[in-house]
Amino acid sequence: MFRKILVANRGEIARRVINTCREMGIATVVVYSVADREAVHVLKADQAIFLGNSEPSESYLNIEKIIAAAKETGAEAIHPGYGFLAESPEFAERCEDEGITFIGPPSRVIRELGDKTVARRTVSQGGVPVIPGMDRAESDPVLLERESARIGYPVLIKAAAGGGGKGMRVVTRPEDFHEAALSASSEAKSAFGNGAIYLERYLARPRHVEFQIVADRFGNAVHLFERECSIQRRHQKIIEETPSPAMTPKLRERMGEAAIAVAAASGYVNAGTVEFLLDAEGNFYFLEVNTRLQVEHPVTEMTTGVDIVRLQLEIAAGERLRLRQKHLRQRGHAIECRIYAEDPEKGFYPSPGKIVYLEEPSGAGIRNDSGIYAGYTVPVEYDPILSKLIVHAEDRDAAITRMIRALREYVILGVRTPIPFLIEVLQSAPFRAGETFTDFIDAHFSNWQPDRKDSDLARIAFIIDEIARQKRPLAVAAREEGYPTPWQTLGNRWR
Amino acid sequence: MDYRLRIGDEVWYCRADSGEENAVRITMKDHVVNVRYSMVSEHQIHLMVDGTATSAFITGGEDEKMVVIEGVPYPVQNEDILTQAASKRKGPRAVPQQVTPPMPSVVVRIMVSPGDLVRKGDGVVVVMAMKMESTLTAPHDGRVRNINAAVGDKVMPGQILVDIEKEEGAATGDSGEKAVP
Repeated sequence: MFRKILVANRGEIARRVINTCREMGIATVVVYSVADREAVHVLKADQAIFLGNSEPSESYLNIEKIIAAAKETGAEAIHPGYGFLAESPEFAERCEDEGITFIGPPSRVIRELGDKTVARRTVSQGGVPVIPGMDRAESDPVLLERESARIGYPVLIKAAAGGGGKGMRVVTRPEDFHEAALSASSEAKSAFGNGAIYLERYLARPRHVEFQIVADRFGNAVHLFERECSIQRRHQKIIEETPSPAMTPKLRERMGEAAIAVAAASGYVNAGTVEFLLDAEGNFYFLEVNTRLQVEHPVTEMTTGVDIVRLQLEIAAGERLRLRQKHLRQRGHAIECRIYAEDPEKGFYPSPGKIVYLEEPSGAGIRNDSGIYAGYTVPVEYDPILSKLIVHAEDRDAAITRMIRALREYVILGVRTPIPFLIEVLQSAPFRAGETFTDFIDAHFSNWQPDRKDSDLARIAFIIDEIARQKRPLAVAAREEGYPTPWQTLGNRWR
Repeated sequence: MDYRLRIGDEVWYCRADSGEENAVRITMKDHVVNVRYSMVSEHQIHLMVDGTATSAFITGGEDEKMVVIEGVPYPVQNEDILTQAASKRKGPRAVPQQVTPPMPSVVVRIMVSPGDLVRKGDGVVVVMAMKMESTLTAPHDGRVRNINAAVGDKVMPGQILVDIEKEEGAATGDSGEKAVP
C-alpha cells in the first residue's frame, strides 16, 4: 500500500479522501490556491502545497504544478476526486509517464469513454443497449434527415462536441427537422467551433439510473448496485438515492450485468459509474461512463457497507478485488441531498459569503460529508457545494422522514442554501410515491417559494433578538468578571 | 417597544411588553402571545410560545435579520428603520443606480467602451460568480465615461464598474441618478 498520496482536489471530496487515508495510515498531501488558504482540505491534510492564484488554470487544473507538488513531497499516487482533472486523459497519462500512480482508470480508458460516440460504439459492441441513434456525427442535412426517419420521432439533436445543452433540440415532427438541424448546428459551431451534430431517439420522462462498478487489473469486476439521480436542477443532480424506486430484482440483475459488460468491453480498472436512462416500460439505455469517484457515492457506501475510496486505493496499489458479486447485498435505503451555497428562491443563484453559524445534524443513520466550518468564507471562484447530507434507514419511507428531520436540524447562517426547498421536495406526494423523473423540478416545483408558516415565530425571534441585543453589553461585562470556579469556592479546605 | 416588521409583502405592527426576566408579551396584529425565552448563544434563541418550544437561529442587525426556523429562512425587516434610512436618501426604497455586482464576482466580459451611448437596460458588463454568469445592465440612458475594471478582475458589491453619465439635456433625473465622477 502507498505510504503517501496527493489529493488533487478541494473541499468536501478532498476531505472525504483524506478520511479514508487516515484510517489506512496513509499520509496525505493536498494542494491549494489563494482562495483556499483556510479551506477544510488544507486544515485536514498532513501537508499542503500552495499552487498559485485561484483561477483553476493556475491551481487545480494545472498539471505541471500538481506533478511538481507530488514529486517534491514524495507522494506515490494522486487521487483526483471529482471535477477538475478527474477525467482528464492528459493528466492520467502524465502521471503514468512520471511514475506516479493515478488513482483511477488507465488514461486510454478515460480517453475512449470520454468521447461520446466512441463510447456508444464500444458499449454496443459489448451487447449493451444504447439509445437508438447515430454512432457518428454528421453535417450533411440530407443524410441527417434520412437518419431521423430511421430512428423515429421524437428525435433529439445533439452536438458532437457538446455539453451544457448547447446545440441540443427536441424535434417532434418531421417537417420541423430541417430548420432545427440548421439552428442546432450553427449554435454548436459558435459554441464549440464544430458544427457536427448527431441524432438520438428522444425519451420522454426518463429516470436517471446509474450503477457503481469496481474492477481490478486482473479482470475481476463487481457492481455495487444502482443509484437513482433523477431530481436535477440545471442538469445537475441534487437528490440521489438507492435503491431506485423503479427497480425490480429482475431489472437490477439485467442492468447490473450490462454495467459489468461495459466494464469488460472498455477494459475498465478502478471505480466508475455506468449511467443509464430508464423508460417507463423498463427499457434501459447506456448514457455514459463517469470514470471517477462520483459525488453521490456515499449512498452506495451506506447500503453496501463498502468504503469505495478504500477500494480505489487498494486497486490502484495493485491489489486484487476481494469482493464477490454473490456476497454483495443492499441493506435498507439511503438518500443524499447536496447542500450548495445558492438561493432556491432566486432560481438557485449562487450565494457566497461567510458562514457565521453552523449546526450540523447528528444521530442514527446520518452522515454529513462537509467542506465547511463556522467562520469559513465560501469562495466565489469554485463550485458552490458546501456539503452532502446522507441518511440511511430501514426503508425508503423511513429514510425520507429521517432526511427531513436532519435537514430541519441543519443550520447554516450567512449564506442561502436549498435546505427549505429540499424539505418540501421530500415531503411532496410525487417524491413519496417514487415518481421521480428528470423533469421533476420543472413539473412540480417551478417558481417555488417556501411555505413560511412560522412567520409569527420569526417576528417574535426578531423582537427578542433586539431586546437581547440592547442588554448584551451588560451580559458581556458580567462574563468578564467571571463566575466563581470550584477552585475558588472550595478554597483550601478540600485538601 | 413597537415594531413594524416586514416579511415579504406583509408588514405587521408588533408591540413588546417586557415582563419578568426572559419573558415578553408580544401583540401582533390582533393577537397576544406570552413568550419565555433564553438566548442560547449569539445566534440561537430558545422560545416557549404559549407553552410550545422552538429554536430560532438568527443573524443580522437592527434593520434586517435572517431568522431560520425548522430549516426555513425568514428574512425579517424593521420597516421603521428602513423607512428612516430611505428618507435620509431623499427617495423611496433604493434601486440600483450603479453598475455594481450583486455579490463578489469576477469580470468576464466588458461590453461597452468609453464614449458609447447606452440605453437603460443595455448589458454593459458580464460577471461570473461560482461558475454562473450574469449581465449587469445600464441603470439609465447615458454615455459611458469610465470603465473601472478589467476582464479577470475580482470585484465586490458597491464597486462601480462602469460610470455612465447622463447626457446633457437628457431627461431630468433626480440627485440619486448622477454618475459618480
